[in-house]
Amino acid sequence: MVLDVMAWVGYATIFYFVAMQMYLLGLTVVSGFVLRRNHHLRRFNRGTAMLSSTNAPPVSIVIPAYNEEAGIVDAIRSMSIVKYPRFEIIVTNDGSSDGTLDALIEAFRLEKVRIPYRPDLDSEPIRAIYRGRSGVDITVIDKANGGRADALNAGINAARYPYVFCTDADVVLAPDCLVHAMRRIVDDRERTVGVGGNVRPLNGSRIEMGHLISASVPTGLVPRMQVLEYVRTFLASRPAWSQLNALPLVSGAFGIWRRSTVVDVGGFARGHMGEDLDLTMRVHRFLRDRGDEYRIVYEPSAVIWTEVPNTLRVLRRQRIRWHRGLMTAISDFKGMTFNPRYGRLGMVTWGGFFLFEYLAPIIEFIGWVVVPTAWLLGALSTQALVSMLVLAFGAGLANSLTALLLDESYGYFNSPVDTSRLVAMALLENFGPRQMTVMWRIRALLGGSATRSWGNMERRGVANLAKPTGTAGTG
Amino acid sequence: MLDIRIAEIGTFVIYLTDVALLLLLVGLKTIHRSRMRDHDRRRQEYLGVLSRHVSYQDCTDPITPRMAGDSAFLDALIDVREVLSGYELANLEAIVAEHGVSAGLVRRLASPFPLGRRLRAAVALAEIGDKTTAPAMIHHLSDREPDVRVECARGLARLKWTAAIDDIVARFAIEEAPVRARFADSLVGFGSKATWPLLAYARVNHRAEDAGPALALRTIGRIRDLAAADSIHQILEEGPSLEVTIASVEALGVIASPYSVEKVEPLLHDDRWQVRAKSASALGQISEPSSVPWLSAALRDVNFWVRRNAASALAQVPTGIEALYDALEDADPYAADAAAEALADAGELVAARRRVSAGSSGDEPLLAHMESEA
Repeated sequence: MVLDVMAWVGYATIFYFVAMQMYLLGLTVVSGFVLRRNHHLRRFNRGTAMLSSTNAPPVSIVIPAYNEEAGIVDAIRSMSIVKYPRFEIIVTNDGSSDGTLDALIEAFRLEKVRIPYRPDLDSEPIRAIYRGRSGVDITVIDKANGGRADALNAGINAARYPYVFCTDADVVLAPDCLVHAMRRIVDDRERTVGVGGNVRPLNGSRIEMGHLISASVPTGLVPRMQVLEYVRTFLASRPAWSQLNALPLVSGAFGIWRRSTVVDVGGFARGHMGEDLDLTMRVHRFLRDRGDEYRIVYEPSAVIWTEVPNTLRVLRRQRIRWHRGLMTAISDFKGMTFNPRYGRLGMVTWGGFFLFEYLAPIIEFIGWVVVPTAWLLGALSTQALVSMLVLAFGAGLANSLTALLLDESYGYFNSPVDTSRLVAMALLENFGPRQMTVMWRIRALLGGSATRSWGNMERRGVANLAKPTGTAGTG
Repeated sequence: MLDIRIAEIGTFVIYLTDVALLLLLVGLKTIHRSRMRDHDRRRQEYLGVLSRHVSYQDCTDPITPRMAGDSAFLDALIDVREVLSGYELANLEAIVAEHGVSAGLVRRLASPFPLGRRLRAAVALAEIGDKTTAPAMIHHLSDREPDVRVECARGLARLKWTAAIDDIVARFAIEEAPVRARFADSLVGFGSKATWPLLAYARVNHRAEDAGPALALRTIGRIRDLAAADSIHQILEEGPSLEVTIASVEALGVIASPYSVEKVEPLLHDDRWQVRAKSASALGQISEPSSVPWLSAALRDVNFWVRRNAASALAQVPTGIEALYDALEDADPYAADAAAEALADAGELVAARRRVSAGSSGDEPLLAHMESEA
């Protein structure tokens, strides 16, 4: 009887795994069509006509900074030369204990000012506001430490323009990313309230003076694994969600929002582990409940490069935090899960999130325990076990390879060396990294104080990424 | 047994899929790289041929039909077209006509080819700018593919083919917002010739819908046709919707006719804060000194954004700086802060610091404000 149950649990986990892969495959097919069309349009560089247009709405770039002394100045410099007619940069120094503020004051000749600051959104107290005199339209808000969401709220409060571009201090913007993203807003100004961009790992690429000179796949296994994950996420899933107008997540590293909408929903949730997911879902719920016709879209041509964790320790902390954020969001928006009132968002994407993101580590963990045990106890034949493993690994591999095929049109990692590194990673990730990620997510599910801290991302700084690790500054 | 058989079949299918995907990936990457290299080589070669042909009419370098149909030739043609003028451009147009390049593209546009090839043909037609293709582009303004329609509108605008303006404006009522926005971009390319069809569309439709007429009005603003101001005033007098009112005021601000001042000033008392805020900005763009009292009063508006826009506007009006200095003493801290920000943006803060460092003994209220606690 026990053996039968074990065998059936084993089959159920395999069935679940196949269903998940079919769901992902469906998304990948839709994304393929979207990216194909996008490829034709991008090839002819259609967005840049907006550069000389008075039609381009001005944008406030909001950057939260906590102990970012190593790279903040280079990051701001790279942002300040982005191609867009009118934008301002707002840096929120979130109570840094290093020299972040001093570095900014020196580099951009900041001076203390008293200018309008409207506390539409809650944040920790503001200590001072600085404005630059260096030719870069920069405002620095110095405030007590309150976390990323809190810092973003303070930056949004100070924003002068109707659209806010929320990003991070450890990113390099592709020069035309704002043009591509804002083009989506100009195209449908009345309905578009948010635009997400295509985030790519920066590690391993060549950066000079805040610019990406050449992109390549990092040699380290930890960042390389993330390159593959980012390609899967940003090219195989998000274009499809956006096409369905059911994008559940505008990434924290690249999110452009209509300021008034963010204020309407109360801004970023302070202390939330997944504040970007939470904001996106709250905007969806708010506008759908109000009966508004709106769009939150993803623009794959709007590319931003970000530093991803280089070590397992930092990656573990990040993944636990992400899963905690997901758990909170699943609980907060449980009324939307498989609720037809929320259309494709409730039925397809948020339902998919619940089934294949939230439940995945639990079911996968059960599978990893039960299937080998059932085999050891003789409930499963060796042939069945091997078939299941090949099925599980093979489907995951197929998913990764399809995503890499979609990436072909972007041409960032086209060299034979990069291709072989990513293919090798797609094969390798089934033997260790995947199980490790499951364990981290299980750890997040178990809770405890260790899973509630943000921890520090050890930053090398944008300018130092091309240098050997030994010379890196830490945040 | 059955379960094992299903698992075996599943395993086999997945295994096969993986191998196929892997081969496809490697194959595609290899083919892509090789094709790109070859394309670039041919493009360079054609650039040379075309440069010689446009410079010397008697050039004997052959342009074969195979070359004329090559996508690399088309790319080279578009590149060369961008930098030519005068007799060289005429020579290039002769080459295009002689070798039937445009005719081939028109045929391709009408073919059942997939989007990629048809879109490429539409883009090439828009870039080449051959007048003989205008009727075909007008026809494809109603193409089944939105992107092809957009490219045809762009091509017609590049040709300044004014006969197409009515066709493009007529589609404002039919098209989805993204296509309509791109059509608006094209209409700007026609200049003031597009003003009246757009105005007519806005006046006729603004009671029935918001988005189309609002976009039409913004497009008129981008054209900056002074002659349109009076008609926009009339639309404003008809009491349009919020969206259309905002677009009208925005257009008047960009056009910046001094005659618009008396129409926009009363809107600073509109019930809707969005209209008041936009009106303040528009008055700043128009920059008439007579607006200063109105904008100074708007510094005490109940809405923060109206106060902020009014302060920015005052900084743009020649005699507005004094009013901003007066506002530094305002009891409303937001009005005072907005005035301080506008003064700083106008360079007054730097000037004040210079005066102090040069030993000026006069009061510097802006410096005092900036150094005070919020």
